[in-house]
Amino acid sequence: MAWIIFVGLSIEAGGLIVNFIFSVLNPEFVQNLYQKLDLTEMYRDSRLAFFGIYSFILVISILKVFLFYVVIRLMHKMDLTKPFNTFVSNQILYVSYYTLSIGLVSLIARQVADKLMQHGFVTDGVDQFWADSQAFILMGAIIYVIATIFKKGVDIQNENDLTV
Amino acid sequence: MAIVVNLDVMMAKRKMSLNELSEKVGLTLSNLSILKTGKAKAIRFSTLEAICKALACQPGDVLEYANDEQEATTRN
Repeated sequence: MAWIIFVGLSIEAGGLIVNFIFSVLNPEFVQNLYQKLDLTEMYRDSRLAFFGIYSFILVISILKVFLFYVVIRLMHKMDLTKPFNTFVSNQILYVSYYTLSIGLVSLIARQVADKLMQHGFVTDGVDQFWADSQAFILMGAIIYVIATIFKKGVDIQNENDLTV
Repeated sequence: MAIVVNLDVMMAKRKMSLNELSEKVGLTLSNLSILKTGKAKAIRFSTLEAICKALACQPGDVLEYANDEQEATTRN
């Protein structure tokens, strides 16, 4: 399951990168590309706004890919007979960092997009990339708490193992 | 760490091997090795008692407090 999500997110991130390149080099062709994310109007109005919004979209997509890469690595390398080790603890901590980062970047991106819309920029179709920012922040916070408890558990187990 | 384990010194004084001590104390060789190399984070009173009994010594003969500077000087 995680593999399918990882592959899907990788394709999405790849598609968005291709979109971005075509938006800059050949804007007419964007309509035929993935999700038809056409921000060429914004590109014409303000390059700063265009690059800002696209940076947010790309960063969020890439972070999601990294997040699922960490999840896959965790699931493949985790030894269920001895799950409490430093590797698993660190991976869960990374998952929480990535999740929180996605949430925070999405939240900032949403605010920026709202401000741009108020200033008359067309931001149609970009809301889908940061629609679930609060869910990511909440999930990240919960995973961080779990990771911290897990880390403490690993420390206690290590101490127990080194008690003779 | 500030606590130094002088188990090897006491074993040398009593001319006792690690295997022999392991049998007398009832600890595995790996656990005794952890203790001897100073990797252990804690020692049970029961283990300390068994070691003192086997080596006919006091806990102070096996364990020693040395501050980090002193320990570094000793190592060098």
